[in-house]
Amino acid sequence: MAELNVLGFRAGDSVLHRLDVRFKLMFFVLISLSILKADVFSLFLLTITLTAAFIHIGLPIKSVLKDLRYIFFLLLFVFVARSLSVPGSPVIEIKTITVTREGLYQGAVVCWRLLIVILTGVAFVLTTRPSEIKAAVQWLLKPFPGIPEKKIAFMMSLTARFVPIIFDQAKETLAAQRARGIESRKSPVYRLKMLGIPLMRRTFERADRISLAMTARCYSENRTDPRLSSGLRDWIALTGVVCLCLIIIF
Amino acid sequence: MNIIEIKNLNHRFADGTMGLKDINLSIPEGVFVVIAGMNGSGKTTLLQHLNGLLLPTSGTVYLSGMSVSENPARSRQIVGMVFQDADSQIVCETVFDDVAFGPENLRLDRGEIELRVMRALETVGLVDHKDKNPYLLSGGEKRRLAIAGVLAMAPKVLVFDEPFSSLDYPGIQQVLKQIVSLHESGCTIIVAAHDLEDIIAYADRLLIMKDGRIVREGLPAQLLGELEAFGVREPLSLQLGVKNPSWLN
Repeated sequence: MAELNVLGFRAGDSVLHRLDVRFKLMFFVLISLSILKADVFSLFLLTITLTAAFIHIGLPIKSVLKDLRYIFFLLLFVFVARSLSVPGSPVIEIKTITVTREGLYQGAVVCWRLLIVILTGVAFVLTTRPSEIKAAVQWLLKPFPGIPEKKIAFMMSLTARFVPIIFDQAKETLAAQRARGIESRKSPVYRLKMLGIPLMRRTFERADRISLAMTARCYSENRTDPRLSSGLRDWIALTGVVCLCLIIIF
Repeated sequence: MNIIEIKNLNHRFADGTMGLKDINLSIPEGVFVVIAGMNGSGKTTLLQHLNGLLLPTSGTVYLSGMSVSENPARSRQIVGMVFQDADSQIVCETVFDDVAFGPENLRLDRGEIELRVMRALETVGLVDHKDKNPYLLSGGEKRRLAIAGVLAMAPKVLVFDEPFSSLDYPGIQQVLKQIVSLHESGCTIIVAAHDLEDIIAYADRLLIMKDGRIVREGLPAQLLGELEAFGVREPLSLQLGVKNPSWLN
């Protein structure tokens, strides 16, 4: 589960750590939207900015890329699909399959954009305490009537907390079934059923225990509100990000 | 003064099984009580009545004269409970946030919450881990975090349900040290266990349960010889005549 752990909050004292979570969330949305218009020059500029941000946070970009290795399979799939589907001047032709120059270019640009969005998200998660993210979600949902913002924010937080444990349980159940020769059964439906049912049962049992433990600690929706505060630093950073987005768009 | 008084307590589960039968018990403030018994003897069911997680079918549980059934929320502040499975008790994504969970539920102000969290983390020796994901802690550290989460609510009684299960020797020592030091600081301690080897040296009082009843109650030294008759192993250190069987020496 190391891959899930590395992509969690890391304590630090960088500028990114000290920015208000609501502003950081806004930066993430602005960059993700403006990147749709980004050309190679803009992508290059964003890559340099992100690399500088990672160095500033104190986390080697190499280790982040290593932990995101599974994402590269997705990017590879996108790249191949683009290379084969965009019409243009052919580079490789094998029977009915044609890889075009335009397809390769567009595939590379789309993957580069996706990678930057993912890395921006990683930078956000690495520098923001989960309780701050929870507070921001609560703050964002507050103006909408009929939405139980505290409950939703806490449910999000619980999900993030227990996903690694459920993965561990799945691994454990799978290992126990392998030890009893499940691999000799060829039917994927049977194997899925034998993994899914005990995993669901254990997950629900755990949910019961969590609910009991939360009750023992006086859980109610009427809790101390999280503290959020913004300052001059956040507004300066916002100006910088808006300028960057304008450069990307125009 | 008795901090816990239980009168004619019975509990029947939804399927009709009797979980507790005719329990009468008084626990004075500041004592260290160990509840021994086989699996299914009713230890956890009894503990969950102390803070209103389960309510009696008949009978009453009093905490300092207050009925638990009538004030379950208040009783949960007085009786802090550390569960057998620490992983299910830890609900937040950093150590600090998890300890703050209880005080936030009590609607304390931020300054007071931070003070309580830091004090609780200092008590259990986890200050250096405050920004860590609890998932990355060792078994002993997780159990200590669960204790810190309860301590931050400033309870008078601390209840531990099988606190040493699935811990290695250093983990048991870490948790035991915490329990003993909390008792020394004046807390009333109640520990439910099916193996008494590591805890018996510190108990002031021993209760033995079987089939939902308290079948023996008294000083540990007087009851040790009867343990095996109720399915609880007599501590080996005592069988071998070790004078001070503490695991902390």
